[in-house]
Amino acid sequence: MAGNNGGKRGLRVVGKPFVKVDAKAKCIGELKYADDLFLPRMLHTKLLRSTVPHARIISIDVSKAKAYPGVHAALTGADLPPITYGALPVSEDEYPLAIGKVRMVGDPVAAIAAVDEDVATEALDLIDVQYEPLPVVTSIQDAYSMPEPRIHEYGELGNIHRRQVYEFGSVEAGFAEADHVREDITFYEGSTHLALEQHASLAQFSHDGKLTLWTSTQDMHYLHRHLAKVLEMPASHIRVIATPNGGGFGGKCDPFNHEIVVCKLAMVTGRPVKICLTREEVFYCHRGRHPVLMSTKTGYKKDGSITAMHHRTILDGGAYGGHGVASTFYTGILQPTTYTLPNYRFEAVRVFTNKAPCGPKRGHGTPQPRWAQEIQMDKIADHLGLDPAEIRKQHAIAPNSITANWIRIGTLSLRQCIDKVVAGSGWKDKFRKLPHGKGIGIACSAYMTGTQTPIYYNKLPHSGVQLKLDRSGGVCVFCGSAEIGQGSDSILAYIVAEVLGIDPFDIRVVTGDTDLTPVDLGSYSSRVTLMTGNAAIEAAERVRHMLREAVSAKLEVPGERLSFADRRVFDSQNPDKGVSFVDAVCLAEEKYGTLGTTGSYKPPAAPGKYKGSTIGPSPAFSCTAAIAEVEVHPETGIVVVPRVWIAHDIGQAINPVLAVGQIEGCVYMGLGEALMEEMTYRGNRNLVHKFPSFLEYKSPTTLEMCDVITYLVEEPDANGPFGAKEVGQGPQLPVPPAIANAIYDAVGVRVDEIPLTPDKVLKAIRAKAKGQEGRYGPSVFPTCPMPPAMVVPTPFQGGDGKALEREPAVSKK
Amino acid sequence: MKPLGKNGRKKLEKVHIRLRVNGEETEVAFAPHKTLLEVLREDLRLTGTKHGCELGECGCCAVLVDGRPVLSCLALGVAMEGHEITTVEGMAVGTELHPLQQTFAELGAAQCGYCTPGILLTAKALLETNSRPSRDEIKEALAGNLCRCTGYIKILEAVELAAARMAGGQAEPAKETIYGWE
Amino acid sequence: MKTFANSNARDFQQAVALVQQTRQQGRAASLVGGGSDLLGLVKERIVNPDVLVNLKTIRGLDQVRPSNGGVNIGGLITLDTLSRNDVIRRQYSVLAEAAETVATPQIRNVGTLAGNVCQRPWCWYFRNGFPCYKNGGNTCFSFGGENQFHAIFGGGPSYIVHPSDTAVALLALDAKFRIVGPSGERVLPAAEFFALPQQNPARENVLAADEALAEVQIPALRAGTRSTYHKIMDREAWTHAVVSAAMVLEMDKQVCRSARVVLGGVAPIPWRLPKVEQMLSGERITEALAAKAAEAALEGAKPLAKNAYKVPLTKGVVRRTLVELAARG
Repeated sequence: MAGNNGGKRGLRVVGKPFVKVDAKAKCIGELKYADDLFLPRMLHTKLLRSTVPHARIISIDVSKAKAYPGVHAALTGADLPPITYGALPVSEDEYPLAIGKVRMVGDPVAAIAAVDEDVATEALDLIDVQYEPLPVVTSIQDAYSMPEPRIHEYGELGNIHRRQVYEFGSVEAGFAEADHVREDITFYEGSTHLALEQHASLAQFSHDGKLTLWTSTQDMHYLHRHLAKVLEMPASHIRVIATPNGGGFGGKCDPFNHEIVVCKLAMVTGRPVKICLTREEVFYCHRGRHPVLMSTKTGYKKDGSITAMHHRTILDGGAYGGHGVASTFYTGILQPTTYTLPNYRFEAVRVFTNKAPCGPKRGHGTPQPRWAQEIQMDKIADHLGLDPAEIRKQHAIAPNSITANWIRIGTLSLRQCIDKVVAGSGWKDKFRKLPHGKGIGIACSAYMTGTQTPIYYNKLPHSGVQLKLDRSGGVCVFCGSAEIGQGSDSILAYIVAEVLGIDPFDIRVVTGDTDLTPVDLGSYSSRVTLMTGNAAIEAAERVRHMLREAVSAKLEVPGERLSFADRRVFDSQNPDKGVSFVDAVCLAEEKYGTLGTTGSYKPPAAPGKYKGSTIGPSPAFSCTAAIAEVEVHPETGIVVVPRVWIAHDIGQAINPVLAVGQIEGCVYMGLGEALMEEMTYRGNRNLVHKFPSFLEYKSPTTLEMCDVITYLVEEPDANGPFGAKEVGQGPQLPVPPAIANAIYDAVGVRVDEIPLTPDKVLKAIRAKAKGQEGRYGPSVFPTCPMPPAMVVPTPFQGGDGKALEREPAVSKK
Repeated sequence: MKPLGKNGRKKLEKVHIRLRVNGEETEVAFAPHKTLLEVLREDLRLTGTKHGCELGECGCCAVLVDGRPVLSCLALGVAMEGHEITTVEGMAVGTELHPLQQTFAELGAAQCGYCTPGILLTAKALLETNSRPSRDEIKEALAGNLCRCTGYIKILEAVELAAARMAGGQAEPAKETIYGWE
Repeated sequence: MKTFANSNARDFQQAVALVQQTRQQGRAASLVGGGSDLLGLVKERIVNPDVLVNLKTIRGLDQVRPSNGGVNIGGLITLDTLSRNDVIRRQYSVLAEAAETVATPQIRNVGTLAGNVCQRPWCWYFRNGFPCYKNGGNTCFSFGGENQFHAIFGGGPSYIVHPSDTAVALLALDAKFRIVGPSGERVLPAAEFFALPQQNPARENVLAADEALAEVQIPALRAGTRSTYHKIMDREAWTHAVVSAAMVLEMDKQVCRSARVVLGGVAPIPWRLPKVEQMLSGERITEALAAKAAEAALEGAKPLAKNAYKVPLTKGVVRRTLVELAARG
């Protein structure tokens, strides 16, 4: 059976639908999220946030607020050291509370700690802030045309934060070889994570000088470093506990100002201090999908093979750097991982604007370029009269190959994924054959399973696991990973149980605590199962070895004949001869003393050696094929998606029911971005969000969600734990373009801009009816001065992974 | 400026009322402007009831009042005297989970788990008035509960599975629900 | 949330008297039924009451009672109860259908008919505290701003759209509203209850601050009358009408004797279409007539920069609703 490969491979836990270790606690309301924590004498914090998008701060007066009964402390930027922080070392450009100027509506300016939230809110009204407004940069066009005033004093040019230009091989030669060349300009609107849990943090400062922060974060380790830096404390005196996240999707990856502020307030007041953001404030935190304008020029032959691609992107980054430099890379760097692409040029620009900062949202920077290529592939197939499923299958990248930009691909069953959805959906009977208004479309993708490089340069492990076993037979797994709902705690239990031959229920999992657990880099880039899983296997195998030795001596059976299963250690040639797992642990404790092992994981080196080659490579790539069926109402432009077929190469499902759940969640989020979600702003009013609420930021309910037919394709990858690859992000990528391609099949128009709202569909339909081009989308791609490209010969050209030229000069901060 | 009590706000008398929560009588005193959500979480420490917006726009805070799902963020605590309130903590009987809690756990219908309490209670109310709802009826009933993790599918399947089991069957989930399609 | 005291009302007279007293003391009072709309407004600091007068403690005004062949509906009936009421479903289906499209099941379990009819607009400028007409200012930010969901009829100086579904149905049913104030009661036809911004840009109806909508009275319908409510949303649940239509047709076989046609989501009040009604009365409702009526429905439409899409949408809704209702037989 699909999705049940584990059983075939003789695995006892891996591949089985065990209940998650925290599922019951979630279903009875017992699990404590950050805002569920209460400490005696706890104070509550509210932040005063900027009401203007761009201004110099003339003065802040908190004296009245400080004097307000019930208020215990009021802070401004002046009360904290003038130290900046930010997700990436290259763009540490944030202050916990504004110093000198504000850069967006929602920038925190002052903080109050008071006996309760109501008093804190009332005290905010007593703070007087004088602003001197500055011209506002609202868009990519503004950022290009307004070098002054600069939003930040660093960056490459005016309000251009970052420019990247790479050429792998020669696109000129590639275009010359092509039968046709086409360029498409497309746009992917920004969207936000909208995790249901509002960010919350609780800080406690003890009188021995140590600080503890409980917080809803995906990336506890990085936060830990930033706290140490900004609070000027040794990291060893700070304990960060990542509480279970009520959804993350990338929105809780950055270190946040409110996390630093509650720590400072706890240090100032000597009392525990909590903050829970309002939904509106969560919209200001954002760090969601970048709006990206793209130009994709592609040369192709009559058989649909691609000879070259020149792909340009412009990202509207918002007010801060955050993960933006990485996002910028991701709008191009994974483009060659899906279809064979011999020559590739990639130019990307990220601009600063006075809007909430963008960052990593599910798929981090890759759904946008995937959208651009997948809708273009559909046009290419249409132009050549080829079947868009076939063309994808024929030119799918080969497994175990290296791409033009030096990314090593391991297993990749994209062809098999395409076959699954083509057969399941009845594609051949439907494509171009459905009645007007109904359509079907296909798209594919590949996605990384963790990044090869950590966010800050180091040679340390990416993930560590410790195991503690004792004479009770109890096994405790310690790992610094953060559970955000994806099931990372459970994965640790399953993997250790598999190795030790016990039940996952026998295992206790302790995660997300910088004092107790070894470092794991966090829940981002689909890295957790692969990296913590490999570390857990190493730790478990080490302790299994100790148990084996001890039992071997006792039973006088050679160690290699001993099996671990069903909570026993026994002679595989004489299964009756054995000891219980508990006895095995006792024997090992007797032999070795207190039992504890560690395991760690570091990704293998990537073959690229040019500057920037560390972004993109991954231990393993997953891939996905999706087919969407749509109904388009020609009078209103309303698009309904009844069904999506999706096949995902996961390598090996550690738990199939959780894997299917991740895929369904990806389809859902892709559907939301495709049809309705957009992070937009009121142009005429200070760049306030048009949608700072659930009601106005529309996301799909049960009634919009489509049926999903999921196929798990399992071809174990040597780099994954038991062969597992990612499943949490990649399956979202093909969903929006599959829907757009289905709209074309239904009504013959192209909407080259996400979201595919009724007004856009209708405009395209009307244009077509008038005999104009049946298309809605951008037609102009603005340009700015670009540095020379870093030229890297490809593996096909016999390159060695190094660039030909030196990296162009980039202005330093 | 308004006259203030020592704790800051204008001094307001607390209301002292008797609430019936999860079958137990309890007395509680709180400021009259507190929502049921706040009374449950802050005064009774029943933090199983979650909040995602506190404006009635997400469904996380749904509880049952006299068996009907309502949003506790848009209900005042003072209005609850004389009503029977059920929160997620009141669904299990002793150590036995409600069938919905069991099926949600089994199918991974609780991913991050944050929308789960509101959805469980809304589904419980549905099954009490309609013991074998169709897929569309379940969707209608849960249309006011946002979930960002699951795409709702495992939730809908878990409600159906619980309904089948509550009807006395030894129902098991479909193979495709667990392993995907062949 | 802002602090306030709670005061439970025994009856409407006492409730409005409490409001009046509080106001005379220089403090703000708000009447609250289900509270779904009001508490949101208080949390967003759009409304800042010192005292909340709780109407839910009033007995007996949460029912549907027959009266002179029609029905009287207590303003405190919940939308869920209303939408499930047998008489309403059978005879006044436009109202049942409108009630069941409101918000979400949880909100319909609490939200009342009176609260829905008197609901404040959901313009994003108003709800986010911009100093617009509705918030006591003297400008409408939507006019030159984000007006995707704003009025195409009857706008100016404010361009909000009336947010209520049931109000549209009630105007189509020619309902009357019983209003209680400190000096007594008055009964107003629905048509006179709702007020255009030209009349009062700060409010959507003629209720005084110390008045309450206590009851809705719907007249008897003639035999052969059928009705329906059709709501277009940008999401299938939990949102307000982008365009909606309530239609009440008195039919004699295929011939329409009289019609009441009211649009929602397109104007600052429920928007009645007298000219369309005249076109229909005495006529067989054919596809051609429906198309003509739909064209006539657009008379006077003045879309703003970003809501022109509502014009064809309105046309489509009128045409389709008419054809479907006529075919229902």
